[in-house]
Amino acid sequence: MGIIYLMLIVSLIIALFFLGSFFWAAKNGQYDDDYGPSVRILFDDENTDKKNNKQVDGNTKV
Amino acid sequence: MKESCFHCGDDIIGKAYQAGPKQFCCNGCKNVYLLLSENGLDSFYEMEPGAGTRPSTSNFHKYDFLDVPEIQERFIGFEDDNSIHVTFFLPTIHCSSCIFLLENITKVDPRIYSCHTNFTKKEATIIFDKNTLMLSELAILLDRIGYAPNFEERSDVRGGINKLFLYKLGVAGFAFGSIMLWSFPEYLGIEGTDPEIRRFTSYLSLLISIPVFLFSANEYYRSAFKALRYRSINIDVPITFGIFALYSQSTYTILTGSGPGYMDSFAGFIFFLLIGKWFQNKTYQNLSFERDRESYFPIAVIRKKDEQEEIVEIDKLNIEDVILLRNDEIIPCDSFLQSSSAQIDYSFVTGESLSKEIFKGDLVFAGGKIIGQRTEFRVKNTPKRSRLNELWDSSSIELDGDSQQDQDNISLYFVIIVLVLALGTGIAWLFIDPSLIVHTVVSVLIVACPCALALSRPFTFGNTLRKLGRSGLYLKNIEVIQRMNNITDIVFDKTGTLTKGGYENVSYKGDVLTSRQITQIMIITRSSTHPLSRGILNYLAKGNLLEKFEMEDYCEVPGKGIQAKIDGDFVMIGARGFVNSTSETIVEISSYVKIAGVTIGKFSFQSELRNGVSDLINRLMQTKMIHILSGDNTKDLDLLREEIPSLKELHFNQSPTDKLAYIKNLQSQGRHVMMIGDGLNDVEALVASNVGIAVSDDVFQFTPSSDAILEANGLHRLDSFFGVSYHAKTVLKICVWFSIVYNFVGLFFAVSGMLTPLIAAILMPISSITIVVISTLFVLSKRL
Repeated sequence: MGIIYLMLIVSLIIALFFLGSFFWAAKNGQYDDDYGPSVRILFDDENTDKKNNKQVDGNTKV
Repeated sequence: MKESCFHCGDDIIGKAYQAGPKQFCCNGCKNVYLLLSENGLDSFYEMEPGAGTRPSTSNFHKYDFLDVPEIQERFIGFEDDNSIHVTFFLPTIHCSSCIFLLENITKVDPRIYSCHTNFTKKEATIIFDKNTLMLSELAILLDRIGYAPNFEERSDVRGGINKLFLYKLGVAGFAFGSIMLWSFPEYLGIEGTDPEIRRFTSYLSLLISIPVFLFSANEYYRSAFKALRYRSINIDVPITFGIFALYSQSTYTILTGSGPGYMDSFAGFIFFLLIGKWFQNKTYQNLSFERDRESYFPIAVIRKKDEQEEIVEIDKLNIEDVILLRNDEIIPCDSFLQSSSAQIDYSFVTGESLSKEIFKGDLVFAGGKIIGQRTEFRVKNTPKRSRLNELWDSSSIELDGDSQQDQDNISLYFVIIVLVLALGTGIAWLFIDPSLIVHTVVSVLIVACPCALALSRPFTFGNTLRKLGRSGLYLKNIEVIQRMNNITDIVFDKTGTLTKGGYENVSYKGDVLTSRQITQIMIITRSSTHPLSRGILNYLAKGNLLEKFEMEDYCEVPGKGIQAKIDGDFVMIGARGFVNSTSETIVEISSYVKIAGVTIGKFSFQSELRNGVSDLINRLMQTKMIHILSGDNTKDLDLLREEIPSLKELHFNQSPTDKLAYIKNLQSQGRHVMMIGDGLNDVEALVASNVGIAVSDDVFQFTPSSDAILEANGLHRLDSFFGVSYHAKTVLKICVWFSIVYNFVGLFFAVSGMLTPLIAAILMPISSITIVVISTLFVLSKRL
């Protein structure tokens, strides 16, 4: 029955991992805008001039 | 054969502006299209046809203040040697195309490095090259493509969901799920397992429920404590009571090894409560209900000092300073006119749509808007002491107590009943079996915890809020629904509320127009974007062909009129003073026409009732008193009398103070007043009324402070909105009855000493879930 203890601990660790990721996501601002990203992903990537297009990651802290 | 503008989707009035095969309603839209297509952003239109926003035609000097370093600091988030990160609030962001356009703005202007939009907050964070691009130029560029930045001070309430709340919800959900998993042997009644394992899982549950108890639920304790300190009771008092009873009992049984406790019920209860709260708070973040008069005012003006012009912040103005205002700018404080004459549009303050001419030395009040050329003023009062501010402050916002009253009464009875029951149970068990007294009393407290009762209100009203929002009525919070149910009187503000804002109802008086004259008028009005010109053009466009004539020397005098030479004749259209006509004084909006030196007639604009308004008022009059207060003069009195003959309470020429007094007077007679208004001139009355509804054609752009915002095209459904709010009250009653039944069943087990963790674990979540389902289904099934 010793395995049960291990499993309980493992289940707790997995749950804690997801709680941690939720915290990370919330802190990172992923719940701030619940519409924009769903649209953004559908925009076509066009061949643009690299020089003019210094794309900065959207989550950059300002 | 109505064509719509390729850019903004509005109907094209008269002849369209062409760019290749595409047609546009105005030059502004066409320019935006050209700008976008030159830079390869045509796919903007593929996503949503007519998605653009018509750019404003105002002057672009209005952003000059952005180049003053002190003011800049407020908007700049980060700055290094080459670039600036700035966050602008752009209220016109409304669809996916907006996001596309704004994030591809780097293609329009390579000096912009990147743009990231936040749709929920309607913000754009832009990084640009600070050495080559000025902040004001950036603002102008955004304005040109139809996204004029808004610089009002904004509270953080708007800033999406509170992160701390998300953490609380996460912790409660995590604990709920984990404890349920570990409690499975209990649910399934597996007896044979090792008692050591059981003890181990109990301790684990106890451990992870600590953050739920201390962190997730703490706002309930705080609220209950606050209420008790003021010697009152709110719904959070019995909730806190239940939480403490449940938690301490469970902790006790776990630590003494006498049972597994109710930690799953506890964590689940907190989780559901928080979800209910989230549901209730998830109102319309992108609408502003708190905007007051000052947010429409400029941030800075030009001050003239020692023959030098400088831009200063409004707060730094002193009495006797000379300020310069340009076309379309709002007077920030009471002042005297220095220039020889000026046209002032007071529609912001009085609702009066005719502009007023003033002369040197006249006093002008804050809130007026300049029409025409640059004008100098001498400051009489600093902005803090202006007449409007005094008005504002005098209309103290009284919190009416009846909003929360019903719920609090229920809470009070609830607490009393539960305490009496617990006491009774304790006394009864004293005789039956004294060793079980603590167990039964605590069981009563646990079961009586008003889970379902606490959930029924946020879910029922939250759903109602959402339902109304989908039909165009956006309520500030759920309290407004309760207040709506008590309304006995409805006060309408006529200007722009019952009538259409546009200039569609045109009539012509004067000499009969020849087809040549008609063509001349059409050619000249087509060149102007002024609403009156468009109205005339639209009126004449019905059935008249447009011939080609040459137009020369076109000139538009803001606030006065337009003139040009067409096919050899000098044509003037505009205000009476502009064309020098000498007809009788009239109180209506009209444009006079003068061709080749002869005034031949005038176009008059009557306001028109919005669709369905007269039917609406007739329906509403069956149950409520209807009053109409108007800031306008009596020019539309006949129109209203004609349409709705049974209307008694019609008051015209009402100043904002009169409106406020009228509402206060009704309230002192014990009436509950709903005020439906539009402009800022109604704000005092809107705030004073029990329910203040602001009607707006564009809910994201112009909304004064109010309890609710109504889309103008939803006005005729006002009576069905009342129906929905009555329905919500009924649903709430049903939910409360359900939760009472559940509580009785639970109390039966508790009082008889038979409450086991299993029964608690089944009963409590089921009661919560049924309440959520009932309130959602009943509210959504009601047809509007």
